[in-house]
Amino acid sequence: MPEITDIETTEVLDCTGLLCPLPVYKAAVVLSRLSAGDVLELVCTDPGSLEDVPALARQRGDSLLATDSAGDVQRFWLAKGEER
Amino acid sequence: MTTIAPSGSITDHGLRRYEDIRHLMPDVDNPTPLVRVGRSIPGSGLDLYLKLEWLNPFGSIKDRAAAYMLDALVESGELGDRQLVEASSGNTAIALAALAALAGTRLTVTIPDGVPEEKKVLLRMLGAEVWPTPDELCPVDNPKDGAIALARALAASEEGSRYAMVGQYDNEHNVRAHYETTGPEIWRQTEGRIRYFFAGFGTCGTITGVGRFLKERDPTIEVVAIEPQPGHRLPGLKSFAEAKEPSILDRGVVDHVIRVDDDAAYETTKRLFREEALIVGPSTGAVVWAASQFGGDRRGMAVGVSPDGGQKYTSYFAEVLGDEGLPQV
Repeated sequence: MPEITDIETTEVLDCTGLLCPLPVYKAAVVLSRLSAGDVLELVCTDPGSLEDVPALARQRGDSLLATDSAGDVQRFWLAKGEER
Repeated sequence: MTTIAPSGSITDHGLRRYEDIRHLMPDVDNPTPLVRVGRSIPGSGLDLYLKLEWLNPFGSIKDRAAAYMLDALVESGELGDRQLVEASSGNTAIALAALAALAGTRLTVTIPDGVPEEKKVLLRMLGAEVWPTPDELCPVDNPKDGAIALARALAASEEGSRYAMVGQYDNEHNVRAHYETTGPEIWRQTEGRIRYFFAGFGTCGTITGVGRFLKERDPTIEVVAIEPQPGHRLPGLKSFAEAKEPSILDRGVVDHVIRVDDDAAYETTKRLFREEALIVGPSTGAVVWAASQFGGDRRGMAVGVSPDGGQKYTSYFAEVLGDEGLPQV
């Protein structure tokens, strides 16, 4: 995994306070309009995100570049895969 | 029931003149029709009638449950000034969107994979907000039920202040609608001679409500459920091999389950169009195919539910037809 400080984020999506699966739904909507290689930083507070976000990346063919956790806040960096 | 319609109106059922579209909601004195189908089930001893639920005011059997569930939310004060949210494959949402507009509120719909564009456009025409939702959105906790999980998340967000979830899969008013209207209508329209009742597994409000009512009148009436195959393309129906059973399903009223694959359902739907002139949706094809397989040596009057009409599925039927009916030059 790359160092978080090395990741160039294209867009940040703040989903703090939202319950799963709302964060992954909104992330999928944003990712669908980004270009391949663009990076979405997703910020969540629902613990369900720890399982749902990696599952989203696998389903969509995107890459989960890095994760970070601080208190109740989880951050995910998702790189959009090639268009299918 | 009230369907939140104004009172003291000019509605006159005898003249078929109505103050308000909600006054067209069916009941035992104003039932949806039963129409006999004989040509499409050759060799079966069943005298099969379809209950044409697409002649309800908003186009499907879900009008009944939607009206009951919304009435309950309004009358209990639960709705208040919140908007509605619901997971629906389209028909419940269409009815709710129409009724919500009349009640002065708005509907957000989480809609699962496999719902035709026609339904999504209808919902937006009615002012609803449509969230197309992949079945696998929430694979860990809600496999194949992403739309339900998303609707629940919306309802729970903002501490429940923004959305009231209708919850048709767990809502006893869904069952009550069919126990108080569809069931009594069928009993009266068949003059108590019904022997078999066919309906699909979906939210299970219909099969539970009608089945319960009919069995209370005559416990020997047999209730037959139609279940699609996993990965099916029959909107409104549910395979419990891949989706959770709704809490409102009463297995005690279901005597038989017949599994139907898509090809059989669509082929039978085509026959219903061409042999019976019934412009029905594919779930009706599934019901009639199941009745034809179940019939065999059985005799007697049977009623199957025709949940909705075919107009909402023309994009699907175009795929089924291919180039059939086009000039071959």
